[in-house]
Amino acid sequence: MALTGDLKTFNFVDILQIIAKDRKSGILLVEWKDITVAYYVKDGEIIFARPVDRVFRVYAERDFDLLIEKLRISKENLFRTVQRFLIERLDMKEGVFSFTPGFVRYNTNYSVVYPVENIIMMASRTLTPEEVERKISDELILFEPVEGSQDRLKRVELTPEERKVFSLVNGERTVYDIRKDSGLENLTVDRALYGFLALGVIKRKKREKKQKPSIALDLLMKIIERIREL
Amino acid sequence: MRTIKKIKIVIAGPFAAGKTQFINTVSEIKTVKTERKTQAVGEKNVKEYTTVAMDFGKIRIDDEHELYLFGTPGQSRFDFMWEILGEGALGIIILVDSTDPSTFHEARRIINFFQSRFPVPMVVGANKQDLPNAWPPEDVASALDISEDEGIPVLPVSAIDKESVKKVLLALLEIIKEELSA
Repeated sequence: MALTGDLKTFNFVDILQIIAKDRKSGILLVEWKDITVAYYVKDGEIIFARPVDRVFRVYAERDFDLLIEKLRISKENLFRTVQRFLIERLDMKEGVFSFTPGFVRYNTNYSVVYPVENIIMMASRTLTPEEVERKISDELILFEPVEGSQDRLKRVELTPEERKVFSLVNGERTVYDIRKDSGLENLTVDRALYGFLALGVIKRKKREKKQKPSIALDLLMKIIERIREL
Repeated sequence: MRTIKKIKIVIAGPFAAGKTQFINTVSEIKTVKTERKTQAVGEKNVKEYTTVAMDFGKIRIDDEHELYLFGTPGQSRFDFMWEILGEGALGIIILVDSTDPSTFHEARRIINFFQSRFPVPMVVGANKQDLPNAWPPEDVASALDISEDEGIPVLPVSAIDKESVKKVLLALLEIIKEELSA
């Protein structure tokens, strides 16, 4: 089943977050204003990109090795297509996307010059204030690092500012505190937090205090039975 | 005269997520609606009428108790109603239109709103699963940044299907039961 949406309301950081999360494989098709580009995704990594004039062709060529052979692109140069048709377009916000999982047969391993984590952070650096506000909507939100996040960040090229922001996330500082303590611009902090959330290296801190449900168990059981009977 | 005790579950979610339909599907009374014609550009294209204060449906439990399902208005300009309706709720169901990723961020914002004010059990219904372009619940969960340990299950639902709506209600009630027994 294809995942479809509009880049205006669901940006590249969001899309890549979904693709990277379960290390999906498939084809991400983006109809930009000027061209339509097919991005080939293998185990959560974007390994190749090509503009297409007829979309059906993408779905007709399922064997990836045969495809790049036909296009006369060496495996070593695949990353250049990613650079040209994705990295250089990350600041473009208009287009519709559709990701179809599965589909393509990848036979061999391909080197990844732009790991998806890096692309997520690159894309987060292009977010507008309106875009970051969608996730960093409240300066009282508390974030905490996810276990093992330091190791996961080793393969990500972070800017010194992003490192600083990450070092301040401790489950006690609010977004407001992080902005203040970092001495950085709010937008820089918020972009970094947005990117870290998408990478899954930070998460919203769970509230410790839970309200005990104000209902007797026998009444609750009665409600459950009643719903079952409906 | 015997007074009937009311138990409340809140159904929240972005504009056009299917909240009124969800309540309609299981309510034993005709859902009481407070709808007005949509005025905002963008909303008019989606549906003709929208909830402006609340909807409610009712399920009779026994001679002394009724379960009320309160649907909130979806637009954040009515968030003062979310605050009023959330008060005293036994649990909260957040409905999301799985076919419309443009509403996912708003859904997360609504989750944050209720989480910070009413720390009661919550489930997310990934609605409109009957439609061909619906995102699977696990991808909706990722898009909403719901981590596994957040304790908010994201369940598939089609608000027009009674069994499906019942499953979501029962999932919420089971979480309440667990918390009660803990």
